[in-house]
Amino acid sequence: MRNPLLKRIPREIVGEFGKYLAIFLFMTVTIGFISGFLVASRSLQVAYDGSFEKYQIEDGHFVLEKEPSDKLLEKIEQEGVKLYEDLYLEEETFTGEKEERSVLRLYTERKEINRIFLWEGKLPEQTGEIALDRLYMKNNHLELGDTIKIVDRLFRITAMAALSDYSTTYQSNNDIMFDGTKFSVAIVTKEDFTSFGEDHLSWNYEWMYQEKPKDTEEEKEVSSDLSMEIAKAAMDDENELKIFLPRYINNSIQFAGNDIGHDRPMMTVLLYILIAIMAFVFAVTINHTVSQESAVIGTLRASGYTKMEIFRHYLAPPMFVSMLAAVLGNVLGYTKFYDVAANMYLGSYDVPLNEIIFNSEVFIKTTIVPMVIILMVTGISLWKKLEFSPLQFLRRDIVKRKRSKAVKLPRLKFFSRFRLRIILQNMSGYLTLFIGIIFSSLILMFGMVMRPLLSRYAEDALNYKPANYQYILNQEQEIEEPSAEKYCVTALKMQDDYYEEEDINIYGIVEDSKYYSQLDLPEYGVLVTSDMAKKYHLKKGSIVNLKEEYGNEIYAFRVQGIFEYPTCLGLFMSQEYFCDVFQKEIEKNDDVMKRLGRMLTDFSGTEGELYYNGYFSENDLSGILREDNIASVITDDDLTKLSRQMDISMGEMFGMVGVFALVLFALLIYLLTKLILEKNTNSISMVKILGYTNGEIGSLYLVSSIWVVILSAIIALIFNTWFFSLVLIIFMKGYGGWFNLIIGWELYLEMFVMMVGTYLLVALTQMLRIKKIPMEEALKNVE
Amino acid sequence: MFLEIKELKKSFGNDANRVEVLKGINCEIKKGEICVLLGPSGSGKSTLLNIIGGIDGPDSGYVAIDGEKMADMSEKQLTKYRRKHLGYIFQMYNLIPNLNVKENIEVGAYLSDRPLDIDELLKTLGLYEHRHKLPNQLSGGQQQRCSIGRAIIKNPDILLCDEPTGALDYHTSKEILKLIEEVNQKYGNTVVMVTHNDAIKNMADRVVKLRDGQIRTNYCNEKKISAIDLDW
Repeated sequence: MRNPLLKRIPREIVGEFGKYLAIFLFMTVTIGFISGFLVASRSLQVAYDGSFEKYQIEDGHFVLEKEPSDKLLEKIEQEGVKLYEDLYLEEETFTGEKEERSVLRLYTERKEINRIFLWEGKLPEQTGEIALDRLYMKNNHLELGDTIKIVDRLFRITAMAALSDYSTTYQSNNDIMFDGTKFSVAIVTKEDFTSFGEDHLSWNYEWMYQEKPKDTEEEKEVSSDLSMEIAKAAMDDENELKIFLPRYINNSIQFAGNDIGHDRPMMTVLLYILIAIMAFVFAVTINHTVSQESAVIGTLRASGYTKMEIFRHYLAPPMFVSMLAAVLGNVLGYTKFYDVAANMYLGSYDVPLNEIIFNSEVFIKTTIVPMVIILMVTGISLWKKLEFSPLQFLRRDIVKRKRSKAVKLPRLKFFSRFRLRIILQNMSGYLTLFIGIIFSSLILMFGMVMRPLLSRYAEDALNYKPANYQYILNQEQEIEEPSAEKYCVTALKMQDDYYEEEDINIYGIVEDSKYYSQLDLPEYGVLVTSDMAKKYHLKKGSIVNLKEEYGNEIYAFRVQGIFEYPTCLGLFMSQEYFCDVFQKEIEKNDDVMKRLGRMLTDFSGTEGELYYNGYFSENDLSGILREDNIASVITDDDLTKLSRQMDISMGEMFGMVGVFALVLFALLIYLLTKLILEKNTNSISMVKILGYTNGEIGSLYLVSSIWVVILSAIIALIFNTWFFSLVLIIFMKGYGGWFNLIIGWELYLEMFVMMVGTYLLVALTQMLRIKKIPMEEALKNVE
Repeated sequence: MFLEIKELKKSFGNDANRVEVLKGINCEIKKGEICVLLGPSGSGKSTLLNIIGGIDGPDSGYVAIDGEKMADMSEKQLTKYRRKHLGYIFQMYNLIPNLNVKENIEVGAYLSDRPLDIDELLKTLGLYEHRHKLPNQLSGGQQQRCSIGRAIIKNPDILLCDEPTGALDYHTSKEILKLIEEVNQKYGNTVVMVTHNDAIKNMADRVVKLRDGQIRTNYCNEKKISAIDLDW
């Protein structure tokens, strides 16, 4: 005979339809979204990993100063690599009616290495045709058939492409963030390519190892040796190595892969926390049901039902609902949410994604593990609740720690004392609510804080910029421009135990600088920017260790002071000290300095005058400086690149996350206040008989909850601000730069109002519940 | 002897607050008898019933059913024992609110390898017409009938009744007692019934009167009358 108690399970679910539906929908959407996200991420990872072989992605590339001789290329190939010439041009491009400026790196078709994937259309065959990167087209609202202007010539877009070595479009590997809007890559015909001339031509060569290094360690060694050999061979050939970038450190290739991998544990943990909260809600509600049905359980146990039979019976509805949510969530994950998640990824990365890959790991993470969490949390709680004897159940004597006497309350008004008693009576429910509020407000904070944080970053970057234009030169060039001021700059790698190596700019500032007039530069040592000090915990007297990019020299600088310069990680020193420090190095080892990059290439300086390799200027110097002498210009677009790209990549998500947090918040409030009212149905009915109005009853039972909500919200906002700053430190580990966590009081107020407002909305629905409780309820329960 | 109670002692509380509820009970009940445990509130009759039912344990002494001592049984064995041999009827019916009458009775049937025919029992209980109703659609008497049905569907050796008419009016109480009597006659179960209603002793084969945790009188009722003829 089938256990007749089984018939209760669907009725139990229907009887508590509101509760189970709310939890079911929440779990389905959560599991669905995260399953979709993990599947998309996994599929993307597989596509990404497969792309190395499929598209023959380079093992690395280098750029030479000028056209190399055949002899030089042959010599390099003798180092165990096969070279592929892949020259590129970087040209100014203008899109849309407003002719928005951006930079395109133009290549010709690649057949052997770094092959091109076409999303749509066909590669250019005739002059005036161009294939553009998909993300660049999306971000700049371009369609196939549209035209764009490169320098002064119009090109018609014939294809939407993905260049396999640019899954993210970093213009320079030193950039702290890629920029899919203002910089991208494109393919033009050979005729068009040559017609641009050689002013902005880069002699780029890609290589493949003839014998692949076994692991990254070996690759590091091999590539380090290769860089030395190429630099030396280039010098011997009167050429110069400008860029050397093995694949394993090439952000354009590696960033997407690393980032896709990074997201998965975070999303998985988020899922587990949300499921654990739901499990606690189940545990609290089941315990309530057990208390309500205590006498029935006692009767069943007295009749011979085992504890396990009762346990299985009460555990069945949450397990069934969870299982259904997990299954439906996964179905939605593979269908609906997969597209949402894939589009989120494809909004940042250009990885050819063709198919959904079923993944047993995702299935386990989003189906089995949530079920196990529900089983563990709810099961342990239920098992403990069922530990009482049949007689105790019959007598409704199932409270673990009985209070010998009531908790003494301070002298308060009757209503306040009543409310405190309600809180004390429902501690487990309120504790779950508290944890839920802490967690949902953290998600809410993430959803609401990031956008203002990014805007503030962009504002700070523009407000604190020293000048409208910052030029970096290939070599010194004297000019007649009143606003122009010389400076020196180079970049070294920061050495830190926690953060990964990142580029730090070292500036040498002239005496009596008009752009840094507030700086009191010391004779020796350096000043560091406020963000640099915050990120690396520097203070006056600290030593900063920095290492050369292509060498082994380590520079140690003593911090003499800190000055306010948000968004910049940099060291500032006097021009004399700058020249002194680096000049010594030149004398010691000229080879090493050669490899310091283009900013230090022409470092010898003119006798009697101090070295410089850049200009700050209020005015555009492009007509004054020789075009071939401008190594780079730092514009407003460059300064706001990080915040802009993060907004593009994650902006949509912030809004979604905020809504999700409020739904979680509302759900918890709804379930737990409902539970508290159900627990007190008899008392509510009794006080109705005594003559209390619905409003008074509401103020007793719902105001006690709002006390908890307000207190939890305040604690949550304080705790989460601290927690968020920790998360930011962990988050920044994988990125360069620094974000200051500044949350304005308006934002706190907004979050607080949102939480309390959500509570009030839910409380309104609970008022209806109070109104519906009949007076006979108290009279019915005579036991 | 089918049910043997020997030197049974039970107390609650500790030290100064210690109350001795059963002070050495000795009693024997034959198979198929209706035994009424009679006494005022606090006399220990419900405690005695709970110990017989294995849902409470004695401090000393034992209860043996068909020669099997309950004190020697583990918790698991006790549950198994209750499952196999005992049926319980309480003053409050403790029916499962979202199962109908028939399903509530099936809850008892599930525990037995040889349950009675449910439709026949429903007819005996006078609930056949109401079998699809939920407990809240029934009167108190009907609910108690249903709980009796749940207890006896598994055809237990012993039917334990704790104030089965305590929450019912005069007429309904008599109907319920009549039903218990009919069940006893039809299925031959031993019935142990706790009550504080002195009139009910007249339908019993054996009457055990308790006061202050001790048996005051224990006798076979020679002038047993039918439950329907009871009056109080």
